[in-house]
Amino acid sequence: MTERLWNILTDSFLKILVPGLQMTIPLTIISFAIGMVIALVVAMIQVAEIPGLKQLCRFYVWIIRGTPLLVQLYVVFYGLPRLGVLIDPFPAAVIVFSISVGAYDSETMRAAIQSVSKGQIEAGYCVGMSYPQIMRRIVLPQAFRTAFPPLSNSLIGLVKDTSLAANITVLEMFMATQRIVARTYEPFALYLEVALIYLIFCTVLTKVQSVCEKRLGKYGKR
Amino acid sequence: MIDYENISKVYNDNRVLKDVSLHINKGDVVAVLGPSGSGKTTMLRCMNFLEKADVGTMTFDGKKYDLHGISKKNMAAIRKKTGFVFQRYNLFLNKTALQNVTEGLVIARKMPKEQAVEKGKVALDKVGLSDRYDFYPSQLSGGQQQRVGIARALVTDPEIIYFDEPTSALDPELIGEVLLVMRRLAKEGITMVVVTHEMSFARDVSNRVVFMEDGEILKDVPSKEFFENPGDDRIRNFLRTLTS
Ligand SMILES: Nc1ncnc2c1ncn2[C@@H]1O[C@H](COP(=O)(O)OP(=O)(O)OP(=O)(O)O)[C@@H](O)[C@H]1O
Ligand SMILES: [Mg+2]
Repeated sequence: MTERLWNILTDSFLKILVPGLQMTIPLTIISFAIGMVIALVVAMIQVAEIPGLKQLCRFYVWIIRGTPLLVQLYVVFYGLPRLGVLIDPFPAAVIVFSISVGAYDSETMRAAIQSVSKGQIEAGYCVGMSYPQIMRRIVLPQAFRTAFPPLSNSLIGLVKDTSLAANITVLEMFMATQRIVARTYEPFALYLEVALIYLIFCTVLTKVQSVCEKRLGKYGKR
Repeated sequence: MIDYENISKVYNDNRVLKDVSLHINKGDVVAVLGPSGSGKTTMLRCMNFLEKADVGTMTFDGKKYDLHGISKKNMAAIRKKTGFVFQRYNLFLNKTALQNVTEGLVIARKMPKEQAVEKGKVALDKVGLSDRYDFYPSQLSGGQQQRVGIARALVTDPEIIYFDEPTSALDPELIGEVLLVMRRLAKEGITMVVVTHEMSFARDVSNRVVFMEDGEILKDVPSKEFFENPGDDRIRNFLRTLTS
């Protein structure tokens, strides 16, 4: 490796990592947190079969899962201003990613909630508990345990999807890399470098996931 | 004490319960017998609103309720005074034995935790599980799980406990321990309605036998009379197939 290339890579490492810590990670965490709240509400509405709202939720999931994330970003950031709705890049990205996470993970949560046996719900009623109490104390804890691996998957997927926000001028890791490439003309090495940083982020998350899963146990089962 | 009148239930054209009435006195141990598909489970589930009867009334604590139109509030109030034991235990899988038993006290009845734990331990001791408080259902045998189920129904001092074939999901060698517990409850004077295929329980423990067939109560007599003088041919046949 030439010395010039080596210098470019070491110089750029922090210039890529810092937007990663300041943008990519907050964008991921905030979007995922909001997305989980949406997912939970949407899943519960469907499980509780609330008429009207249930159809609305199905419609939402259908639209979001059936259209590309990139297109959704363009619609919100470049399209909505035509209707007089101007949103800054970062909040626009948060909105789109949250809505996307909400749609996908509502399906995960719905399946996990429905995997809790009906008999336990009946038993809850028989000891005098109300539906919300049964949900909170019996069903959701088990559903979260079941959904934990697929939800972790979705979080890891989101880390990488945030690179799409470069398209709506969010200065996250990928956009930072693009700028350095434009100055230095070293696309191969620099794109590999940013890929490596994404890989490190995701590896850390995978480790955290497996530690958590061990901690959570399986109610006595191993 | 608890009177059910004229319960009817139809599942898409299939009349599963046809105008069933049952009067339960305090301290009664009622064994509900009958061939498979005769409507025993459905009757029990209608009695505790797990299934909505199409028609029928219930008189409980001197008040009369319509089984079809009963409000959620009244349902919850009555359920707090009754217990239910399931064929497949239906323990809360994310709770230990003790938590399974205290959940209804702490959450549904807002009992202080220490008091609930105290009561919960007494209930588990009573079913012979004093060494299993902190075990999860997955760590218990079928017989132990069912005894937790009984403790969970028992702990709230209910006026009546309904059992739906409490031993029929169990391996033969585990049936005895559960029946023993139920025998003890009967002796204590707890009112019970027990759907069962255990003739020994019906004969020796229950004081009344209700025989169902095809959605109707064919017979409702003292158990001694039922076994000594079955009368009806259908009952004779039923008893013969069981003992053969
Ligand atoms: N959810 C349901 N939907 C439709 N039919 C049902 C349903 N539950 C029960 N049935 C029907 O109602 C009838 C009575 O069923 P039930 O389970 O009450 O019988 P059972 O006397 O408890 O039988 P077993 O001894 O086999 O448990 C059966 O013909 C059954 O097929
Ligand atoms: Mg049955």
